[in-house]
Amino acid sequence: MLWLEDVHVRRGGTHALQGIDVEVRRGEIVALIGANGAGKTTTLSTISGLLRPQRGRIHFEIEGRRIDIGRIRAERIVAAGISHCPEGRQIFGNLSVQENLQIGAYLRHDREAVGNDLRSIHALFPILRERANLPGNRLSGGEQMMLAIGRALMSRPKLLLLDEPSLGLAPRLVEQIFDILQRIRGDGMTVLLVEQNAAMALDLADRAYVLETGAIKLSGTGKALAQNADVRRAYLGVA
Amino acid sequence: MARRPNLLAFLAAASLGAVLVFGATATLDDYVLSIIQFVGINVILAVSLNITNGFTGLFSLGHPAFMTIGGYVTAIMSLDPKRKPFLLPDLPEWLAASHLSFLPALVTGGMVATLVAVVVGFPVLRLRGHYLAVATLGLIFIVQGLAINLDGYTRGALGLNGLPELTSLWWVYGWMLLTLYVCWKLKHSSLGRTMLAIRENELAAACLGVRITRTRILSFALGAFFAGVAGGLWAHLVTLITPSSFSFLFAFQLVVMVVLGGTGSITGAALAGALLTIATEALHPVEEAMGLFGASQVLLAVAVLLVLVFRPKGLFGMAEPDLLAWVGKSPGREPTPAGSKRQREV
Amino acid sequence: MTASYILEQIVNGIILGSMYALIAIGFSLIYGIVRLINFAHGDIVTIGSFAMLASAVALKIPFPLAILVVLVTGAATGMMIERIAFRPMRGAPQVTGFIASLAVAIVMENIGIMTLTAQPRSFIVPAYLSKFIAIGPLSVRAIDLAIVVLAVLLMAALALFVRFTRTGMAMRATAENYNVARLMGINIDRMILLAFAIGSALAAAAGLMWGSKYSQISPLMGLIPGLKAFVAAVIGGVGSISGAMLGGYVLGLAEVLLVGLLPPEYSGYRNVFVFAVLIIILLVMPNGLLGHSTEERA
Repeated sequence: MLWLEDVHVRRGGTHALQGIDVEVRRGEIVALIGANGAGKTTTLSTISGLLRPQRGRIHFEIEGRRIDIGRIRAERIVAAGISHCPEGRQIFGNLSVQENLQIGAYLRHDREAVGNDLRSIHALFPILRERANLPGNRLSGGEQMMLAIGRALMSRPKLLLLDEPSLGLAPRLVEQIFDILQRIRGDGMTVLLVEQNAAMALDLADRAYVLETGAIKLSGTGKALAQNADVRRAYLGVA
Repeated sequence: MARRPNLLAFLAAASLGAVLVFGATATLDDYVLSIIQFVGINVILAVSLNITNGFTGLFSLGHPAFMTIGGYVTAIMSLDPKRKPFLLPDLPEWLAASHLSFLPALVTGGMVATLVAVVVGFPVLRLRGHYLAVATLGLIFIVQGLAINLDGYTRGALGLNGLPELTSLWWVYGWMLLTLYVCWKLKHSSLGRTMLAIRENELAAACLGVRITRTRILSFALGAFFAGVAGGLWAHLVTLITPSSFSFLFAFQLVVMVVLGGTGSITGAALAGALLTIATEALHPVEEAMGLFGASQVLLAVAVLLVLVFRPKGLFGMAEPDLLAWVGKSPGREPTPAGSKRQREV
Repeated sequence: MTASYILEQIVNGIILGSMYALIAIGFSLIYGIVRLINFAHGDIVTIGSFAMLASAVALKIPFPLAILVVLVTGAATGMMIERIAFRPMRGAPQVTGFIASLAVAIVMENIGIMTLTAQPRSFIVPAYLSKFIAIGPLSVRAIDLAIVVLAVLLMAALALFVRFTRTGMAMRATAENYNVARLMGINIDRMILLAFAIGSALAAAAGLMWGSKYSQISPLMGLIPGLKAFVAAVIGGVGSISGAMLGGYVLGLAEVLLVGLLPPEYSGYRNVFVFAVLIIILLVMPNGLLGHSTEERA
């Protein structure tokens, strides 16, 4: 569904991504793991259009057509069916919880379906219904994460880009989030997940890539990488 | 030592300039002479503003306020003590009776402006970016308002006219040399480097032990001193000073000089100051002929916009163009790469 | 210093405050989205008043329709300024944008002087609005009442738009976090244009009010009110629309009461007072009364 082909990105004078190749197939959960500064967020931002690749192509296949989204503006990439849930949650603190969800569906005009989706999100994250009228900045970290994911889902994306959902969250909440990811994958969603918590990511993912200073060092199935000695040493805290 | 040739080059250029000034005063007519003096005063202003805006990165629009202060103080000091009690009834005895010759009067004007800058600077310089700009703009209006209202001290909106015509090309030239020298020495001193450090990355500078507040106030005050002196020179060139002599429009023109010349380049600021003054003067007759008053301002503003879009570092950026090389065979100075604070980053 | 005199001053303060509020809202709307001070905002006030003069007097358009013309002219001018001065500066340092808008202001003012001369023109209000209406112990000119009513209507319309429409919500989102707003599919360029359009339309409306109140207009008339409205926006918290409204009225009342209640020799200090307030607020309460800090300011 999504192919990155030899993508190079420069930001602020550094060569952040040095020719990476990533593939995400329909219905998969693909994880991108690596240390801080490896380029994981840059990768997601480039896919979603916030950054432009200097070289390389990003192919997105939608309804049988393949488009190169490397040159398209972020707003149109959302319209094409890619939803980016950014690092640090970044919900709109000044908007209410309900409005945050509504703005997730900004591009949609099918009122009734949006209403249904709202209800499904509420079912997935009941706390959001309880807190519907509170301004976003009054939610706790975990609640904001749920809101961010819910907001990203409101656009009915074909591909969900998730940046570090576990960051700053208590382990119990992280488990909850990952369970939810399993559920939405079960419903047919494709997910590209960036995570520092390599253990959980590899456990959840079908396939994974290891990113190190802008280049893909390893790739394989989640299980295979979890067994890989280098990965275990570097990212899983196993000697 | 590398310094020596530069100093020699400077002195050589200064002497050459002196010769030119001598020739000019002897041969040119009054009108052209006064234009040259305006050029010189604008150079003083542009170069001194460069200390505040260019080196330290404080976007100050306050120069006209300091010019007004300096101008009025100089005028009050240089006025005939026999006229003063009549013109300015509220002046205290000792002020009304005193009289200073030009140099002490100018220096006093500059010092009062500096004093105000220091006092105002402590609170105001805590602001940053465009908030500082607007606060210093407010300063212009405050000074103007005070000048208009405290008419017992300043003769209000009428201003002070009939000032002795003390400014001559020699005075302007002398002060210009002093300003250039101070600025130049500053740029190559550790204080100057401190200022540049603050401009580039304040947080890093603070971590390195730079005394931020002190340096900012110092740079603000230094700029104010020369602005005050320039105000005095101006007042005694046109023999008149009013509250609206140095308006916010003038502030814009000064900022233009620094922007066009390149924030941080002394030569750039000086050149821009000179060129702009000449250009504005040259355009005046055209304006009058076509009845389009203000056209020069429009052109200026458009020029600024274009420069901002295409060459945001100004025409020279931080560099000093190699003009002095042929004089003292000094090595050309390398342009320093300068970053800038970006407003938004992805 | 009778009660009715004080009441009269308060009414004047409310009228002045209404105009400051409208202009200040424009500042805050624009600042909220692009984080830049639009120095040319005051000149849009001028354009509004001249547009009114042109349509009501020269083109003989009936007053209510002329108001619409003014709003549209203001919006169009604002969008043009955005295209010319602000869009090319996106991503540049703060002060560059400021200088750019200063440059635009200078261009506008001088073109105004060139084409219209600096002479003030008289602004004639239709006869039916010049009548006096009695409200309690006071008699107020109908036009003054109309000013306040129009201002309140415009502000209410804006408030409803921002709170309850999809586009209004998108604008709020864009003002808060412009990159994430893009991730929602919001077209940022359009949001920015819209902010400029609305803010400028309000400023133009204030221009027409100003002309009506003071009966004369000139190409430079908008400069000082524009700056004072900026002070009002700072008082309320730059970037906050409700703050701008509050700040506008606070400043209007403060300015009028200062001049009205202090001995007459101090009346010339009104501008000094306003700018002194600006500096004090920036230092003491940089977020204003209702604002929230989104960037370093001090």
